[in-house]
Amino acid sequence: MLDAAVLAAPPCDTTAPVVPLARQAWLLAKNDLRQELRDLELVLTAAFFTLVVLVMFALAFAALPAADQTLAVPGMLWLAVAFVGALTLTRIFDREREADTLRAVLTWPVDRVAIYFSKLGVTLLVITGCGALLMPALGLLFPAAEVFWQRPLDAAALLVLGCLAYAAVGALFAAGLATASGKNVLLSVILYPLTSPALIFALVSTRALLEGHAQFHTYLGQLAALDAVLVAVASWLFEPVLLGSNARPAERRPSARAKRTP
Amino acid sequence: MIKHRLPLLFFAVAALATPYSVQRIFLHTGIEKKMGTVQKIFYFHVPLAWIMMALGITCGVAAAIQLRKAATGRSRMAESLSIAAGELVLVTGLGVLITGPIWGHATWGRAWTWDARQVSTGLLWLVFAAFVLLRRYGAAGSERLAAALAVFGAVDVPVIYYAVKIWKTTHPTTDVVGSLPAQMWNSLWPALGALVCLTVGVLLVRIRQEQDAAELDDAWIALDDRGRALTLGGAP
Repeated sequence: MLDAAVLAAPPCDTTAPVVPLARQAWLLAKNDLRQELRDLELVLTAAFFTLVVLVMFALAFAALPAADQTLAVPGMLWLAVAFVGALTLTRIFDREREADTLRAVLTWPVDRVAIYFSKLGVTLLVITGCGALLMPALGLLFPAAEVFWQRPLDAAALLVLGCLAYAAVGALFAAGLATASGKNVLLSVILYPLTSPALIFALVSTRALLEGHAQFHTYLGQLAALDAVLVAVASWLFEPVLLGSNARPAERRPSARAKRTP
Repeated sequence: MIKHRLPLLFFAVAALATPYSVQRIFLHTGIEKKMGTVQKIFYFHVPLAWIMMALGITCGVAAAIQLRKAATGRSRMAESLSIAAGELVLVTGLGVLITGPIWGHATWGRAWTWDARQVSTGLLWLVFAAFVLLRRYGAAGSERLAAALAVFGAVDVPVIYYAVKIWKTTHPTTDVVGSLPAQMWNSLWPALGALVCLTVGVLLVRIRQEQDAAELDDAWIALDDRGRALTLGGAP
């Protein structure tokens, strides 16, 4: 848990020159990316996991008839994205947690929402990167998914919008778990039910793309609208979830009596 | 005094309205031609679904107030309301998820068709199940996560409402209720009233219990701190 001094600290140094939110987020994300480039831990782990999942899907579903592939490929794509996303999100705040640098980040003269956008950006980059490996590979392995090669712009837009919905919710709760004394295993319990509506939108859109459905762009628009709602709600909730402004401090929760009883 | 008696008032109204509603549904409302007697479940399924969605939104709004407001009485009241409403979403949601498939089995031939509204209702129930689990078993600090979870659960409610309009679905559209004959409407209102009174009564009791538990916590911790200070020889 963060100490009271950090919780009470103002989010910004009012005497410092005003830096736009986007630039603050970019500077924080650049810092994360620079650290990632030094050891490539997150990228290599996520890419390797994607490869393993892909091989398993290929072994299990290679003999599927083309009609069934149209139903199975969207599931393969978004299930893999959900797993890779959970893997990425469990690590996204680990550097801050392990080196105890979250306290330092919170005392920087930055808007706290910029921390959310920086983590969202890095998560999105990693998940979309893995999706960019998955989509062409699925297109090569399954004839029904060749459309990923034939309509790359539509496929890319679908991938980015689907991953954004997942990352928007995930980055918020990963931040909450980084400062709570709970374990990261809770992330999966929270993440999968919450991201399911977004994943269903993405599944429906992917199926529409594979079937050449005329309403594909309408579905894409709905997914974009859902992204906007999720990012807006998550950025609005980020500061209280990260720091808390609760009426009852943590030690005064209903279980306090039980925990403090000798 | 009124505050303590208010739940009793709601329970009393529910106790009167429930038998009236049941006799009205089964004895004074005609049997629907296509679906037969099983259509009677509509008078319980639809009000439960409406109450579930209203409670989901209530829980989300209360959780947002809890998160955004600093340590004030309003925040504590909001926290109690969000816990009570979240638990009742689970109960009413269970009712919806039981009555819906019974009706679906008679109408569509299958209890569960993976219809958009069925899936989104199931997901909403899962989100609030995660909320209750986090509130009950989460470590220190997890109440913030639970509150954020409830806010996203409330965002899911409009998705459920519009699911039948956005996606192809076998579920009746939201316009069906509006086109009901007057006799069915007149039977739906008492059923809705009885269930709303029962829900509000339970909600008020649970809010009171949560507030009492919080006050008891504060008193116990203050006493414990004072005892420790005296043991260490410091000022009380």
